[in-house]
Amino acid sequence: MSRMPLTIVDQQSEPIREFMARRGELNLFRLLAHAPAVFVGWAQMVDEMLDSPTFTPRMRELIILRVAHLQGTPYELSQHMELARSARLTERQIDVIVDANGDYEAAGLSQTERVVLDAVSELCTTRHLREESFATVHAGLGDEALTELLMIVSCYYGLALVLKAVELDIDRLQV
Amino acid sequence: MTRIAYRRPEEMPERARQLTLERGNLNVYRAVANAEKVYTGWMEAGSAALNSPVLPVRLRELVVLRTAYLMDCRYELGQHNDIAPTAGVTGQEIKALTAESGWEQIDFNDTERAVVGLTSELVTTRSVSVALFDRVHKALGSEATIEVLMVIGRYAGLALMLNALDVDLDESDRLELPTASR
Repeated sequence: MSRMPLTIVDQQSEPIREFMARRGELNLFRLLAHAPAVFVGWAQMVDEMLDSPTFTPRMRELIILRVAHLQGTPYELSQHMELARSARLTERQIDVIVDANGDYEAAGLSQTERVVLDAVSELCTTRHLREESFATVHAGLGDEALTELLMIVSCYYGLALVLKAVELDIDRLQV
Repeated sequence: MTRIAYRRPEEMPERARQLTLERGNLNVYRAVANAEKVYTGWMEAGSAALNSPVLPVRLRELVVLRTAYLMDCRYELGQHNDIAPTAGVTGQEIKALTAESGWEQIDFNDTERAVVGLTSELVTTRSVSVALFDRVHKALGSEATIEVLMVIGRYAGLALMLNALDVDLDESDRLELPTASR
């Protein structure tokens, strides 16, 4: 059970309702809407991240799933399992991403995907990247995509903490 | 040494440049600006958080310092060691918040104590006991509780970016807190 009540969508300001109309009336958004002074800026950040063409949806979902797994966040995992499937990650690939010792290569993940997963794992578990790890992922992605990767990790890592503190309920399946 | 080239404000899209200069053209911004397609939204989110009148600025700085320490983020610590005193945090408090233990002995008020406790527990263990959560929620209400959690999330996430890019601390430039919120 969530430790905090959720806001009522109809009672929110126009920009918040507009965001939820586009992105869904998810429990997460109804939770964060308790803080309207920061919601709209946060929503703009999320919009830019989800709409950016830098990564394919497949790569983005792979990054998010790995962060959600390492942070142990049932809410993020449940939301992004579905999104990962629609972004054409296979069941086997999803399984290895949310596994401590998954064999990425055997599951058919590309070299760039494996490099990205390794960097995400090292960063989330040690809070740093060794010089050689940085060099590898930097060489694979370049300045812009590397920084955007860090932005995605940063966003979902932080969000995981919010979700874990509140123990937010997973959204019921919407048909 | 910062591991990536800095972007110059002159090269940024207009809104991004405006936000960067407003916040003091710090190394953190010039590094993160490499992610041009998502940088503006990230800066908007940061401005909203900084300018929100909901959290007392002193409480916010306590949370930031504790998070920065637990995330082992040299850059955030370097900035906020100097920013926190402008929000009324004493040198002794800063020292205690940026050490493994000792903050429990500081004479914080009940709300500050609960919020610092929640920050420590959440960042270290990725969970919070229900009793501590309820204490914070009762003291602050839902709006400010969410803002506290968002501050922890933002600075914990930012610490990962700063650590990964190994961003150098600015020589003397520091973020200026909006005067309205002091």
